[in-house]
Amino acid sequence: MAAPLAVRRELFTLARILRGVSQQGPRGLTTCSSYRKCSITRFHVPLTPSASFHTAARLSSTASTITVTEEPDVLYQKVVILVKGHDKAVLDSYEFFASLAAKELGLNLSKVFESPRDIERFTLLKSVHIFKKHRVQYEMRTHYRQIELSHITGCTAQMYLEYIQRNLPEGVAMEVTKTSMEKVPDHILEPMWKEQPADEKPSQ
Amino acid sequence: MASFTSKAFLSLGRTNIPGYGLNKAANRVTYATALSVNSSSGNKGLPDRGGKGPFVRRPKRDPGEPRTKKMPVDQDWSAVYPAAAPFRPNSVPLPVRMGYPINRGVPPEKKGNLELIKIPNFLHLTPAAIRKHCEALKPFCTEWPSALDTDAKCDEHFPVKVQSTDYVSAGPSLRNPSARVVHLKVKLSSLNLDEHARKKMLKLVGERYCRSTDILTITADSCPLRQQNYDYAMYLLTVLYHESWKIEAWEADKTVADMEEYSWEDSPSQKNMLDMLLRMKVAGEGDGEEVREQLLGRSEVQEYKDSVVRMKNEGESESTMLQYKEAVKKVLNL
Repeated sequence: MAAPLAVRRELFTLARILRGVSQQGPRGLTTCSSYRKCSITRFHVPLTPSASFHTAARLSSTASTITVTEEPDVLYQKVVILVKGHDKAVLDSYEFFASLAAKELGLNLSKVFESPRDIERFTLLKSVHIFKKHRVQYEMRTHYRQIELSHITGCTAQMYLEYIQRNLPEGVAMEVTKTSMEKVPDHILEPMWKEQPADEKPSQ
Repeated sequence: MASFTSKAFLSLGRTNIPGYGLNKAANRVTYATALSVNSSSGNKGLPDRGGKGPFVRRPKRDPGEPRTKKMPVDQDWSAVYPAAAPFRPNSVPLPVRMGYPINRGVPPEKKGNLELIKIPNFLHLTPAAIRKHCEALKPFCTEWPSALDTDAKCDEHFPVKVQSTDYVSAGPSLRNPSARVVHLKVKLSSLNLDEHARKKMLKLVGERYCRSTDILTITADSCPLRQQNYDYAMYLLTVLYHESWKIEAWEADKTVADMEEYSWEDSPSQKNMLDMLLRMKVAGEGDGEEVREQLLGRSEVQEYKDSVVRMKNEGESESTMLQYKEAVKKVLNL
């Protein structure tokens, strides 16, 4: 009972999907069948009190309609997720979770690897006043993990990233670098001076 | 430690994960409604008179059996841990031990163990739970167009690449100022440029072009929002393109020093070679145009020209010097 509720709580904000970058190029490829945006309209989630997992959950019975719009979807050639944390075991578990989720959703996981850790150390005086010879040393260890997804659409990426980020553990930070591909815009296909050959310096 | 059991512990996980929408009220403050062993009922400040007097302490209830004893083996674990929650020893039926060994014996047990509560647990993300979540999320996926399976095809149809970074971390503020930076990369071979336009474009962009990969990178970070930076980068690309096609009047004054590449025609090297060849030749031949053409058309002279051009353009290295040496020897008949 509570599991679907948790899922729906996570999905609630997917109702705001797809403000989206409007594409300037035409929807070129005729072979690609369905790279379109999908958005949810009516989606109700009961606002449960905080002790929800001990009380019975009220399942929302309203149907969620997923509408598909004709707006072309963003295409990401590469999405690189870098996760940073202080504890290697936590990052191991998170990597297992993220890669299993990607496999279940059928995403293209190209690389999962671990960058070498960083240790930042500094030395401070142990005492508030004098005693220069007695110091204390602290260090901060940062471990990294990188997950690379390739050839992923905007809808899917947004959904996957939201799922991943909602389940990010405490004390772990994430940087997501997205490389999106676009067509050459229409106004760069031909130089504008060709239409006015008589002008030497047409105004811009 | 006796009065603070895991159940009465306040969990403040993930307060600042950027809210894509709604409250994560359920995850922010979680009080367990199960009983704690010593329920602090607010009598702390008052003296305990053992039941006498106006303040009688509420009678303590027995904690009862831990839930682990009633759990069947084939239960639905996602009902026990549907969302991220701190570790509850009476809800997890595993004999976990964690911490420094007591009296050089074993690590402490899970009951009342702070170490187990401190670390983030993934009990709500078992493989079964992940599969359930993914099943529910599948309707929101869209397919990648099947025609774009290789990178080469992607580059051919979609040559402009826009790169930006998002940051997720917990802190006093959700926002990260580095998130506004936008990099726009495009291969010049995919743009419609002729020779003059290409050279002018390279002169205009300067450092932003990488010769080995033929990629022009425009980085925009002067505007406060990412959308604005993206628009500015596209605007810069448009302006560069159109300006490089424009031919100004003063471009006719281009001197040899402005040229990007070394060309042998009308260079001092060609004049020197011609003078030398004329002096080597028999004097009776005359100094007409045909003689010049004939001299320059000879294969040794062509080889010499190739070696000089290569040395000037690529710089001096072993292979270029060797080639120059061979060419000179051939011309001088050594």
